[in-house]
Amino acid sequence: MAGAIDSKMRPTVGVEREVVIRLRDLRKAFGTNKVLKGFDLDVHRGENVMVLGKSGSGKSVLIKCIVGLLRPDQGQVMVLGQDVYALGQDDLDHLRVRIGFLFQSSALYDSMTVRENLEFPLRRHWFAQSAEERDALVKEALENVGLEHTADLYPSELSGGMRRRIGLARTLILKPEIVLYDEPTTGLDPITGKEIVELILRLQKKYGTSSVIISHDLNVAKLAANRIAVLMDGRNYVEGSYDELRSMQDPVVQQFFIFM
Amino acid sequence: MVEEEGRIASNCNEVFVWPHCDLTFINSLSARKSYFLPMDRSDVMRGAKAIITEVGELVGFTGRFFREAFRSRFEWRELVRQCYLNGYRSLPLVAITAFIMGLVLTVQSRPTLARFGAETMLPAMVAISVVREIAPVITALICAGKIGSSIGAELGSMKVTEQIDAMEVSGTNPFKFLVVTRIWSTILMLPLLVILADAIAIWACFIGVNMKGAVTWQLFQQQVFDSLVFSDVLPALIKSIFFGLAIGVVGCYKGYNTEKGTEGVGRSAHSAVVVASLVIFILDLVAVQVTEIMGLN
Ligand SMILES: Nc1ncnc2c1ncn2[C@@H]1O[C@H](COP(=O)(O)OP(=O)(O)OP(=O)(O)O)[C@@H](O)[C@H]1O
Ligand SMILES: [Mg+2]
Repeated sequence: MAGAIDSKMRPTVGVEREVVIRLRDLRKAFGTNKVLKGFDLDVHRGENVMVLGKSGSGKSVLIKCIVGLLRPDQGQVMVLGQDVYALGQDDLDHLRVRIGFLFQSSALYDSMTVRENLEFPLRRHWFAQSAEERDALVKEALENVGLEHTADLYPSELSGGMRRRIGLARTLILKPEIVLYDEPTTGLDPITGKEIVELILRLQKKYGTSSVIISHDLNVAKLAANRIAVLMDGRNYVEGSYDELRSMQDPVVQQFFIFM
Repeated sequence: MVEEEGRIASNCNEVFVWPHCDLTFINSLSARKSYFLPMDRSDVMRGAKAIITEVGELVGFTGRFFREAFRSRFEWRELVRQCYLNGYRSLPLVAITAFIMGLVLTVQSRPTLARFGAETMLPAMVAISVVREIAPVITALICAGKIGSSIGAELGSMKVTEQIDAMEVSGTNPFKFLVVTRIWSTILMLPLLVILADAIAIWACFIGVNMKGAVTWQLFQQQVFDSLVFSDVLPALIKSIFFGLAIGVVGCYKGYNTEKGTEGVGRSAHSAVVVASLVIFILDLVAVQVTEIMGLN
């Protein structure tokens, strides 16, 4: 399955695919708590990389370092060929428009309705659009996550799973080239979870989106991930396809699959 | 401006956020069972260090506001919304307080003036004290309570629920969208609220004057406007612009730098009010010195 997608996604056959995210020797500590201790990862264009790791192992910290929300103590973060921590504010903002970030906590703006939440990035970045265009994009985004009827509700009126899906819709509305998902399916029922996985795959196919997906979900691992990296003890412990990791005899890797 | 990361780390280590230093300080005193024991030198040093750090950060925050306040791509929609929330929504509270202040001041001043046979000076005296001092300071304190706490709590909860981070990763500068618009709104709204408070307090004074003896509105008006000069009005309005700046800056600073979850939100709201009120009094003191030096008193 993963292989099939892989070959379809390859934009220029025979040429090494462009690296869109390159992490080198990433280190981050909070006081004495060393969370990342030299993490390396490459994500290629059009590729879905899943990051597996125990709770508290630093997965959320890792993707926050990628978008420049948390400054790593050491190491290099290159996104779309640009060094995130060497950019000025304006260049960083331009880069961030090309990156989507789904927060583990959804992080919807409470003072705005669902529609205003979705329009927020649109109003700021796609200037030449009419109200109709905006409406159409909002409608499409809501249909993607199956929540067309919630446009005029406030986030406080939604359930946890609905909030997560609206968060996903808001993340994807600018059609980013790279999407970082922090647990996109956690807390959703298996059916909705499967729909989200299909949405991720559809985006990958249609727009060649590259993504980093943090998840504990078997469906994500099996269906969406082209490659899985195991974050263990602050490092990239091992990486490979689902089948490769599955058949590995390593006890550390095995324990993730036993419970999935 | 302080870099986000360095600040988080340093603040986590020293759990010491002014004005909580006063609480920590009092706790440390009561822990010794006697309030009369000489204070530990390290307590004083720590307290002083916390206050200096905080003042430095507030100044830095204000500097960042002025650097971003005039840059292009201004968030007009949000500014209008904030002016509505912070200005229009404070109208009833400011109006009621101003009315009561004007009335009480009139009624209480009458006996003293009557003793000198100067009852006719009542409108002039009330008008001058209202315009120069009472309306700006009372309005500013009320707004510090209402607007300061709401900005502190709103930005604080946006911070701890990652909404500010979400804005940042969507390529919007959250400082410009949230902070600059809020500070501009308090700067613009405070003088307007003060003018309104002036008018209502003077009108209340008219009612107060008329509770004993009758004065026509014409005569009252004439007495008031004869007594007020330009140098009463202008410094007071300039002062209230600075009060507005203080309320906005302190509320935003406290909210924007909230840490430690929901508990931190409450702390931000409360310390926004305490610090803003304190800054308002300090500014008032500075203002009276400046007008003194410029010979406007
Ligand atoms: N802002 C912060 N300040 C201090 N420590 C932090 C901060 N953010 C994260 N940490 C610490 O970093 C470690 C990793 O946190 P992180 O949120 O990345 O875990 P995670 O792998 O995403 O876990 P989960 O699967 O439960 O979401 C934790 O030990 C946490 O205490
Ligand atoms: Mg996490």
